Amino acid sequence: MASLNTFGAVFTFAIELEARLSAYYESIGETDRSRAADKRRKKLERVRRENVVEITLEPIAGLDAADYALELSDGSADAQAAAAGIAARFYREAAPKINVRAAQRALERCGKEHGS
Amino acid sequence: MSRTVQNYIDGEWVDSGASDLFPVHDPATCELLAKCPDSTAEDVDAAVRSARAAFEEWRSTPVLVRAQYMHHFKVMVEENFEKVSQIVVREHGKTMDEARGEVRRAIESIDFAMSVPVLMRSDGLEDISSGIDETTVRQPAGVFAAITPFNFPFMVPLWFLPTAITCGNTFILKPSPQTPLATEYLFEMLDELDLPEGVVNLVNGGAPSATALMEHPGVTGVSFVGSSAVAQIIYETCTRNGKRVQAQGGAKNYIAVMPDADIEASVKNILGAAYGCAGQRCLAAAVAVGVGDAYNQLKDELAKQVAELKVGYGLDETTQMGTVISDAAVKRIESMIGQSQGEGADVVVDGRDFNVDGYENGSWVGPTLIADVQPNTIMATEEVFGPVLSLMKADDFDEAVDIINQSRYGNAASIFTSNGKYAREFKYSVNAGNIGVNIGVAAPSASFPFGGQKDSFFGDLHGQGMDSIEFYTERKIVIERWV
Repeated sequence: MASLNTFGAVFTFAIELEARLSAYYESIGETDRSRAADKRRKKLERVRRENVVEITLEPIAGLDAADYALELSDGSADAQAAAAGIAARFYREAAPKINVRAAQRALERCGKEHGS
Repeated sequence: MSRTVQNYIDGEWVDSGASDLFPVHDPATCELLAKCPDSTAEDVDAAVRSARAAFEEWRSTPVLVRAQYMHHFKVMVEENFEKVSQIVVREHGKTMDEARGEVRRAIESIDFAMSVPVLMRSDGLEDISSGIDETTVRQPAGVFAAITPFNFPFMVPLWFLPTAITCGNTFILKPSPQTPLATEYLFEMLDELDLPEGVVNLVNGGAPSATALMEHPGVTGVSFVGSSAVAQIIYETCTRNGKRVQAQGGAKNYIAVMPDADIEASVKNILGAAYGCAGQRCLAAAVAVGVGDAYNQLKDELAKQVAELKVGYGLDETTQMGTVISDAAVKRIESMIGQSQGEGADVVVDGRDFNVDGYENGSWVGPTLIADVQPNTIMATEEVFGPVLSLMKADDFDEAVDIINQSRYGNAASIFTSNGKYAREFKYSVNAGNIGVNIGVAAPSASFPFGGQKDSFFGDLHGQGMDSIEFYTERKIVIERWV
């Protein structure tokens, strides 16, 4: 997936991002963080399902998956912080592109959780 | 070897007696997904008999119990949301977002049906004369059928089925033979609900089964969505056979763009309206009328944004427009574009001879933009049902309204403007059943009737909303005196 140019592309990327983060945190023994990522994944699946509005589906521009590539081979504190930072930046930049407020709010909330 | 889709009659999956089969293809990959039987009048008769037999017990099942089935049904659809969406993409060719949007709107119709216990309540008046009270009660009317199109294979059946059965009727669905798989899955879920046998029935097929439903004396009413030519036949056949009928037909939906509109934002929404589902929807924007200075701005911005649309396989999340339904549709649409060119229109973005790498056998028509379309030409008058947006010019607002009102269709019309006066005048004077203001697809949510006027609708009561409660019930007046 390259350009995140649809509502579904943005949310599917976010869902996959949280799934990868959950697995990463699990692998380095960060159980609480793993659970939090999994909870976000489930919420994003629900938000994608409940907020897709057929009459306002519009192309999205200016988001590329390559800009949010995660490096998850290193379990150090710095690497964890870098991953969370990338995720937070993705949510911060993706949220304004979404034209359904409830879905936008969910992305903003995920961004805040990664930033905290 | 591909499998043959079965009918669902009297609570069982059964083979049709048909010898003729329709192929069901994935229109992007050309893979043969299944075969659909062209069910016979005998198949229809078996379904009607089952529905008739189930009616008396079902109508006396408490309405709260009937509504409870819808609660369980909704949960089941939510749980299978992605799977249903993928089936829709595969048999139809639309994008994942479009399929998800379709399933979402189908769920809204289930939500609406849950409110039937409230909506079926009626009124009364004491003492209309000394000691005499008068009340109305709504009762289910019998066996209803729906004949549904290929373009929303999951959503359109659910405009009808949930409300019909929650009102206490029994039901027969005949989906399009081009897209029977989403409804097959729909009935697999209904089967899991353990509804009494015969309450819901599925008969796959084409014209013979549709005709048999319309002519069967056991059917009370028929809902239809499809082309205007067929809608008129459905309406005439059903009324001749003494049935209730609501027949939603085709469309030629116009969009007026005023000079005061935000052109870039408007075009972003118009893109979805014109090219969503590859233009295969009865609410698709077909003609954009640029008023005054808006025309050239609109043309330039559309040309820019249309060229950027990503066309591809619907299961790829980054695809913004999918295929049309079949090669026959490709030929028809390309021929109409050619005729338009012959009439002097300017094909600004040409979607003919379009292809997508890796899917060379798919039924592709690229997004097409045609400018300088004149009144009374093919693109101004005929429904394309494909990804083609035409541009017409009007000198002022009044001329734009005149152009729109000349159409024989009246499904939907929209205006893009920042001026409330124009918006108000548009709502007031345009003859269309669904009006959009700064929305290109004026699709009513489930609690509102799906409007449609002129040749876009044949009947009295529309689908959805309170119209559907009226359609699916009889009102009985009770006058009582106890002495």
